[in-house]
Amino acid sequence: MARRACLGLTVILLFMIGTLPILSMLMKSVVVDGHLSLASYGGLLVSSHQWILMGHSMILSSLVTALTTAIGVPLGILLGKTDLPFRRFFRVLFVVPLLIPPYIIAVSWLDLLGSEGLLAQLLGTAVIRATAPMLFGLPGCVIVLFSVFLPIPMLLTMVFLRTINPRLEEAGRLVSGWRGVMQEITIPLILPGVLLSAMLVFLLSFGEFSVPNFLRYDVFPVESFTQFSAFYNFKAATAAAVPLAAITMVLLLVEGVFLRDRTYQLRPSPGLDGQALIGLGARRRGLLLLVAIIGLVVVFVPVVVLVIQSAGLTAYVEALSRAGDSLLRSLIYAVIGASLLTVLGFFTGYLIQTKAFRFWRSVDSMTIFLFALPSTVIGIGLITLWNTPWTNFIYSTPWIIIFGYLAKYTALTSRISVTQFAQIPPSMEEAAQIAGARWFRRMVFIVAPLARRGLLAGWLVGYIFSLRDTGITMLVYPAGHETLPIRIFTLMANGSPELIAALCMVMIAATLLPPGVLWMVSDMRKKAVIG
Amino acid sequence: MKIVHLDSVSKLYSGEKILDDVSLEIDEGERITILGPSGCGKTTILRLIAGFIAPDAGFISIAGSVVAQAGEIIKLPEQRHLGMVFQDLALWPHLSVAGNIEFGLKAKGLARTERQRQIRKVLDLVGMLGFADRRPAELSGGQQQRVALARALALEPKVLLMDEPLSSLDLDLNIRLRQEILGLQRKLGFTLLYVTHDRDEAFAIASRVVLMSKGTVEYDGAVEDAIRQFKG
Repeated sequence: MARRACLGLTVILLFMIGTLPILSMLMKSVVVDGHLSLASYGGLLVSSHQWILMGHSMILSSLVTALTTAIGVPLGILLGKTDLPFRRFFRVLFVVPLLIPPYIIAVSWLDLLGSEGLLAQLLGTAVIRATAPMLFGLPGCVIVLFSVFLPIPMLLTMVFLRTINPRLEEAGRLVSGWRGVMQEITIPLILPGVLLSAMLVFLLSFGEFSVPNFLRYDVFPVESFTQFSAFYNFKAATAAAVPLAAITMVLLLVEGVFLRDRTYQLRPSPGLDGQALIGLGARRRGLLLLVAIIGLVVVFVPVVVLVIQSAGLTAYVEALSRAGDSLLRSLIYAVIGASLLTVLGFFTGYLIQTKAFRFWRSVDSMTIFLFALPSTVIGIGLITLWNTPWTNFIYSTPWIIIFGYLAKYTALTSRISVTQFAQIPPSMEEAAQIAGARWFRRMVFIVAPLARRGLLAGWLVGYIFSLRDTGITMLVYPAGHETLPIRIFTLMANGSPELIAALCMVMIAATLLPPGVLWMVSDMRKKAVIG
Repeated sequence: MKIVHLDSVSKLYSGEKILDDVSLEIDEGERITILGPSGCGKTTILRLIAGFIAPDAGFISIAGSVVAQAGEIIKLPEQRHLGMVFQDLALWPHLSVAGNIEFGLKAKGLARTERQRQIRKVLDLVGMLGFADRRPAELSGGQQQRVALARALALEPKVLLMDEPLSSLDLDLNIRLRQEILGLQRKLGFTLLYVTHDRDEAFAIASRVVLMSKGTVEYDGAVEDAIRQFKG
């Protein structure tokens, strides 16, 4: 009874926070003067502007997907499957861009290549004439989003490589070298993971608003945001959001049909002695150099540029005096968001893993759909539903931001929980049940402690994504409650480059704070055990 | 003629000795079963011979040439010309039955017609001729076993390694497949190195039994003597 009530409440909460706002937005867009009408969508198919936006969105997402897949998958293989030196360092290095808001990378490239950037100061404006066309528009967006999303195919390739039973590769190695084994066995086995990562990158690029907005490239999310925030034209904003939702839906249906069952549970293979590493031999140095160059361009240069640009105490003092309150708010909201995401993800994951309701698959699809949906669409939906006199107690408080986090990112914590639950034998809970423990007691004292690693990982992911959120928060934050990413975004219009760089560095530090503390604590505990 | 030779081989995992100074000489055409409880090091011997791991001490030779010595793999697995049936069979799920068998033949550089001929031949040997286009998941446990055997025999290895291949099957099927493996060995003449923890299975298959305990060889002798000593 308690089980059904708790899981039922989870579903209702997800529906209220995630699905209902989207339905409400769609409903409102088709009601004109109290009658059903598709007038808002009338211009959608006939307007050439809409087709241009669609073309831009598709080209940008396709290029970013192609580039990240082409480089991310081999990178994942190199870092996860070979004896490349310093691969642990590189794994951490390449993940950094995913942890920070994408537009910070764009700011950094502007600081380097812009008309008042470091290169202009060092080499003169002649160089800038050559580099400036690369910075704005499509090329700039592709470069920045490539840096930000490169870790996705890289990490998924590494994770899927770990799920392969080592015996499958050994059976191949008895008759063939590594090249043949990789081509015929390993890569076909991780192909669903590669396709999943490509789809994720496509959807995330498709819904990305901050980078195209900053680098002046017109795509659907920018149009939707502009119509809503600049002209307060709700119907036009919704009409621009609908193609985003429709394409997201189509891609997720494709994923559901072809990939879901093949990529559903990511768990390490129960190999007896782990995965064998491919010896790179004479190519080791060359490949190390290549990976180092990619790391230098994609991660090191953007971060170092920010460090140089913000050098000196003055910029940081000004940054903290102008945005200290936003920083504090960001930290508080991210901690609350991460904690609630962990709890919601735990119960959603449990519901999915145990197939507690007949409609468990719909719950899973709903969370994934919301994650893949562009932030601007969720933001408009939340405003549509909650901006009423009766619900102002939510809409005018930071809870509307937290609702946005829960709607968008529950898929992440729920998927992490599912993976963790898949590794816990059902007999663990059954033994507690036989011993007389009721469901809630089993959850608290048996399942949650066994899933603690997943819960911690879920919390960290929830924290990072809540902290870096820009798209939803930008639309829904109540007056006086702006977060640090929003403050940086608004200051970019008139703040000095030094101030913006310092704020970006503060943002990076805030993002890395909990993972850093966790790493230090775990390191100290390890040393204590050894000692 | 000695086909496989392990000389004073030791192997450590996480500082613990899994194999301790093991020596073993195997003649061509012999049927040896390595018998012992879980964790005694019997699978480690197979993995050392296959070339997936290197010994920490001693050396291993196959067909007269040293293939591995302390801390070093001299010949890679694919250069040792062995066949192996794994405990979990390790059939590639994304390839058909024919695809599973063809992989090694392709790697060897055989022409398409030759590959097709060899696939038909080994499938016929194991009684699976009509199943070439099926995926492993579409087969029963016994059929998967036969496919794994066919794949291992496709390259006509001189030595076939089998790591508890029948442990997941029910007794009736287990007994039937033992007879089939014996029949194939007699027909094709390969050397069989068969690992099991089941005494009846070991005695039914072997011409020689090696009993292992805690990483060392406790007994090495003819199957008739082993039956007298351990069953009596």
